[in-house]
Amino acid sequence: MKPGKPADRSVGTMKEPHLTPDEIVLWAEGLLPAVRALHLAQCAECFVPAERERVLFVQLSRLEHLAPSRGFAERVMERVRIPTPSGGHERR
Amino acid sequence: MVACAKRGDEDAFRELLRRYERPVFALLYRMVRDRAQAEDLAQETFVKILNGIRSYRPEFKFSSWVFKIANNAAIDHLRRRGLDTISLHGAPDATTPERIAATTLQLPDRRETPLEELEARELGSAIERAIGRLRPEYRSCILLRHVEGHSYEEIADMLELPLGTVKTYIHRARNELRVYLEDRFDETRQAGGS
Repeated sequence: MKPGKPADRSVGTMKEPHLTPDEIVLWAEGLLPAVRALHLAQCAECFVPAERERVLFVQLSRLEHLAPSRGFAERVMERVRIPTPSGGHERR
Repeated sequence: MVACAKRGDEDAFRELLRRYERPVFALLYRMVRDRAQAEDLAQETFVKILNGIRSYRPEFKFSSWVFKIANNAAIDHLRRRGLDTISLHGAPDATTPERIAATTLQLPDRRETPLEELEARELGSAIERAIGRLRPEYRSCILLRHVEGHSYEEIADMLELPLGTVKTYIHRARNELRVYLEDRFDETRQAGGS
């Protein structure tokens, strides 16, 4: 490649073409077919952004499970009107 | 379950509430970042959903309908709150010292309340803080995709956005999260090294 010429992301230096941004996301989600994922073992140019994406996905998957305070469902149900078969509502 | 609720089965109402109370509350809490307000909004959301259950159309996924109502509640709340916001540094259009002082938030020196301590613990991690810094539209998209696990298509339906816009928002949101987290990581490393 001549100096100053932008890198062609579609063609890798190995036999396999570089991963596309969508493929990197699929890999981070564990959904990229193994035949394409093999490319990462050979290509640092693809591995670095892919690994950054994977780390972010792991952090997002580990977000704390949040729950409302006790009695939340009861407070909601106190304000709910149950429909009746005649089409009206039954106040609880 | 939804059909049972439409017929007036109270147990079905309770089951729908049981299934959705945590994810809906989590979305709202991460959107508004205030536990008490998130509970109020979650309550309003469920009252609207359950009292309006007969207007639900089964051609849409029920969870999409639920999260659409919840997200609209969050966005409306953030818009209202935005109008009431007083800046830490004065209003953007304040040009005189008097106007800057009048529009600057005065923070009293006080201890955190137990609720604030709980919030700091729950939303205090770097990734939670990074999510809190995103634009609300980006935040909705990233939470619905990566926390609730909805598809791009479902998110587009929920938020009434073109599919391409949803993909762009999620892509940008991930970039912003990554940059924020890497900056924090670099700062921590430098602080540790100095």
